[in-house]
Amino acid sequence: MLHTKPGWRLMISPKPDTALEFYFNKSDAQSYAEYVSTLRKFLESYDDSKQSQNINCTPGRIFDQNDVAVKKACRFNLSELGQCSGKEDKTFGYSKGTPCVLVKMNRIIGLKPEGEPHIQCASKEEGRVEINYFPPEGLIDLMYFPYYGKSLHAHYLQPLVAVQLAINSNSTKEEIAIECKILGSPNLKNEDDRDKFLGRIAFKVQMTE
Amino acid sequence: MVKKKSDVYSVEIYGTKDLEKTETGDKDEKYKDLKGNKKKKKTEDLKKELDLDDHQLSPSDLEEKYGTNISKGLSSARAAEILARDGPNALTPPKSTPEIVKFLKQMVGGFSILLWIGAVCSWVSFGIQFAQGAESPFDNLYLGVVLALVVILTGIFAYYQEAKSTNIMASFSKMIPQQALVIRDAEKKELPADKLVVGDIVEIKGGDRIPADIRLISAQGCKVDNSSLTGESEPQSRSCDFTHENPLETKNIAFYSTTCVEGTATGIVINTGDRTIIGRIASLASRVGNEKTPIAIEIEHFVYLVAGVAVSIGVLFFIISISLRYKILDSIIFLIGIIVANVPEGLLATVTVSLSLTAKRMAKKNCLVKNLEAVETLGSTSIICSDKTGTLTQNRMTVAHLWFDNQIYSADTSEDQITQPFDQSSPSWTALSKIVTLCNRAEFAPGQENHPIMKRVVVGDASETALLKFAEVILGDVMNIRARNKKVAEIPFNSTNKFQLSIHETEDPNDKRFLLVMKGAPERILERCSTIMINGKEEPLDSEKAEAFQTAYMELGGMGERVLGFCHLYLPENEFPDTYPFDTDSMNFPTSNLCFVGLLSMIDPPRSTVPDAVSKCRSAGIKVIMVTGDHPITAKAIAKSVGIISATSETVEDIAKRLNIPVEQVNRREASAAVVNGMELKDMSLQQLDEILCNHSEIVFARTSPQQKLIIVEGCQRQGAVVAVTGDGVNDSPALKKADIGIAMGIAGSDAAKNAADMVLLDDNFASIVTGVEEGRLIFDNLKKTIAYTLTKNIAELCPFLIYIIASVPLPIGTITILFIDLGTDIIPSVALAYEKAESDIMNRRPRNKRKDRLVNEQLAVYSYLHIGIMQSIGAFVTYFTVYAEQGFLPSTLLGVRVKWEDNNINDFEDSYGQEWTKYQRLYLQWTGYTAFFVSITIQQVADLIIRKTRRNSIFQQGLFRNKVIWVGIFSQIGIALILTYGLGHVTALNFTPLRFQYWFVAVPFAILIWVYDEVRKLFIRRYPGSWWDKNMYY
Repeated sequence: MLHTKPGWRLMISPKPDTALEFYFNKSDAQSYAEYVSTLRKFLESYDDSKQSQNINCTPGRIFDQNDVAVKKACRFNLSELGQCSGKEDKTFGYSKGTPCVLVKMNRIIGLKPEGEPHIQCASKEEGRVEINYFPPEGLIDLMYFPYYGKSLHAHYLQPLVAVQLAINSNSTKEEIAIECKILGSPNLKNEDDRDKFLGRIAFKVQMTE
Repeated sequence: MVKKKSDVYSVEIYGTKDLEKTETGDKDEKYKDLKGNKKKKKTEDLKKELDLDDHQLSPSDLEEKYGTNISKGLSSARAAEILARDGPNALTPPKSTPEIVKFLKQMVGGFSILLWIGAVCSWVSFGIQFAQGAESPFDNLYLGVVLALVVILTGIFAYYQEAKSTNIMASFSKMIPQQALVIRDAEKKELPADKLVVGDIVEIKGGDRIPADIRLISAQGCKVDNSSLTGESEPQSRSCDFTHENPLETKNIAFYSTTCVEGTATGIVINTGDRTIIGRIASLASRVGNEKTPIAIEIEHFVYLVAGVAVSIGVLFFIISISLRYKILDSIIFLIGIIVANVPEGLLATVTVSLSLTAKRMAKKNCLVKNLEAVETLGSTSIICSDKTGTLTQNRMTVAHLWFDNQIYSADTSEDQITQPFDQSSPSWTALSKIVTLCNRAEFAPGQENHPIMKRVVVGDASETALLKFAEVILGDVMNIRARNKKVAEIPFNSTNKFQLSIHETEDPNDKRFLLVMKGAPERILERCSTIMINGKEEPLDSEKAEAFQTAYMELGGMGERVLGFCHLYLPENEFPDTYPFDTDSMNFPTSNLCFVGLLSMIDPPRSTVPDAVSKCRSAGIKVIMVTGDHPITAKAIAKSVGIISATSETVEDIAKRLNIPVEQVNRREASAAVVNGMELKDMSLQQLDEILCNHSEIVFARTSPQQKLIIVEGCQRQGAVVAVTGDGVNDSPALKKADIGIAMGIAGSDAAKNAADMVLLDDNFASIVTGVEEGRLIFDNLKKTIAYTLTKNIAELCPFLIYIIASVPLPIGTITILFIDLGTDIIPSVALAYEKAESDIMNRRPRNKRKDRLVNEQLAVYSYLHIGIMQSIGAFVTYFTVYAEQGFLPSTLLGVRVKWEDNNINDFEDSYGQEWTKYQRLYLQWTGYTAFFVSITIQQVADLIIRKTRRNSIFQQGLFRNKVIWVGIFSQIGIALILTYGLGHVTALNFTPLRFQYWFVAVPFAILIWVYDEVRKLFIRRYPGSWWDKNMYY
């Protein structure tokens, strides 16, 4: 990507149809059914059965494969996503008032992050929500990079960070604005006036009971 | 119809009552024809004022009528009252269109309407989007503002250009305010002429311009030059006598704006300002409709063509996009894009600049163009109706031939003669030169010793001036010779004697005889002679010698020259001692039995540059018709000497003479030349005139009134010709207006003529017209090239929208970017084509046929749009796809991608390589695409510019470096593109991005292809003239 500013664009899943705003009633399964099914679908490709060809890479190091013709993909264990993996809680926390949102990095060929990139989210309004990250600290492991493109890097899976929002029971019915950013990497920008997804993403959550 | 028109003018000028009654109906019809509306009331007024009877009143009646006193004049108070009532004594300048109207015309003319539609559409879609709360509605607001700005700025530019050329003329008409000598409050006062009022007593003298219409009450040797009014070139004498019913014929009225040549006079002002005769003619001329210039017609045709294409493609794709289920709003936005892509926004401004560049070049060559469009009109001229006097000739009598010693000598008649080459050794010449020198009242005005002889101002009539200058050139200081041969008696020329005589002491102190010298009409002079000088010796004048004289006289007269005879007599000393009292009244000296010395003949000779210019016109297919008030013989002689009648052609009369048959029996079609007398023209029907104009290639109209000039012009226009007319007099102004291009004389021309004309010849020289024709033809060719160049890229600008709508690819080029091509990179190169030299001798081809040879023809449109235009589009699309592919989107993934591509909510759009793109990244890529498309159009326009240098010749024949401005164009083009991409690439509103440098070269092979393709086209055109290829590929 030469012509715009380098860095990942962040995206989330599930992604509501219109804007990045989640509205659901934790007691009404129908109200979040679509979010749950989207997450489920999204995580299908991360299922262990789909990752049989993927290898276990050395964590914490850039996985350079320039000299190899067939690039290997690193395994991303769903268990890394903890409570947000959808294994224990089939509703990804939506039924408990602790909805999960997956943050992913848009794929870019050749980008090698430096430092210790991790996702950090914050609510503008303090005390309304408690945020948990999976993997812990919202860390993004360097071993998943660089990406070599669809044809060379067939089974590539980009690493995910799950953000679990434990919404304070006092704050139901209120709109909570959350912004997540990539921090800890000198070559990943997270501020641009025009590109609102460069190294960051903002969304809103409103939960009723 | 023509007949009627001529009568109308004669009514205006000769104003006889009986004519008025019968002509009223026709008159109104005429105005209806010319202007499309009736001006009945004004016309009636005009006629009433012609009931002028002041010339019939006695001075005391006049005093009473105007409440004045001939010796004391008006009182200042009374004069001020009348001035307040009648207004200043000046012609109201022709009513010009109000500036604001001119300005607004520029705002809605040409393509402006289309662009306004585009702007309004933008604002409407902004309004809708804003109401709907869409993401970025302001883009459309800005686009609308930009389009409006484009219209307004190009409008201001065109208005400014027009105003500039009008200003040139304004400076012209502002001459030094005229002064008049008036008697008021019993005192003589100098007053500005515009303060004169009816009833003022004014004094005029030789050299003055008559300050108003004046009834003379006393005159001494007063002569006026009425040529600007009636076209008569001979000065008319004026006295206080009532000599004719018709106010124009009577001798006791002098007219406003004519000049007093000599003498003095006093008179009562009877008409001022617009109420003067000249004022009325001038206002008449302003009512003759102005014809649309050929180039205006061509540009209109071109605008219709392009606007037609734009609107039909726009509407077609509007319908297509609706049926493809696009939203109405989107369809409107597509429509704007298509209109902007199709309209060459900068072209009309470019044409204006090109025309004004040519106008500037022409001004340097003494053709001052008042109306920019007239620049080209001159180039398409097919007939020039030229005046004789002053335009074809030098406008001064010059000695052309001499006859003495039984032999005709030719004199040099060129403009800057310093010596005379004929044999001057004969003693007869010495005697003749003495008569020429002494029997002459003309004198050089003082203080001109350093001026060339031919340019000095002389006080005296035309013939005497000619003789004086002739003598001065050969003999040197004439005034000194006259002083040494003191004049003792003199009888000036008068029309009854038809001779002039003077008696002188001789300069030889030993010779106490008086010398009597005489000149006059040759036959009258010969009658008074009994001897003739041959080689310095007096010989008896026998019948044989008289015969020789007759032959010479006929020969010189036959050349249209004015012949004068010269004789002398040495008075015997014993009969006429030095105290002899000569008395010119009783003529107490011999006036017969004189010695005939020789003949001198004079003519107003052609300007030396004219024959060459006429032959150039001929090879350029332009017919030159001479229209003169002069005598047919003189007219024919001049026509022959300048080549208007070529050496080999004959008139009907010539053929009759040669074959010795009556004129009626001659087959008129055999005669290529014709000399038509004004009297004949008067009785001619329309068909007869058309027949003459059709059948004869060389025509001279002699003894024509200025009114007939209008008939001749209209006759020529009926033949489908583009007619240029030269004129200088006030009476020429209707013809100047009627002509496709009226050319007024800058030096001799009256203000009225200059006002009516489209062009002013600063040096009054016919040859300047020819250089004007050349420039006019060149600019027509070059405008073709400019338009072809400009139209080509419209396809490359249009295709993106069409493909965008049909194939739903990301938009390849934005509307704003298109404007940067049309009004940025392309402007200087298209002006540069105006500097291109002619490909071949443009003066060797026929004038263009205004019905067939269009500025923008089918071939030009097809070749530009469908050949080069398509190639350019392909080149630009290749660049576009290259950029997208290199960035991640292979062409196959782009098809049908539009809806998702433009969706603001999709921010992980996957490309061909698996990368994911947010909306902003895609938008940025789209702008990069715009920039790449822009750059590749620019690169290919460089090739387009180079191929447009020629239409037929190879670039190598034309030379790549002869027109250096083209290179300025190329560098400006690339420079502007570099600035836009790299300098302004970060200003997001402009939609440019700093492009990778290699993308500049993607279109280069296509640029080379365009050049090769065009070279091949030209090669085949040159190789196979007249072939299918030539007919279809030459524009």
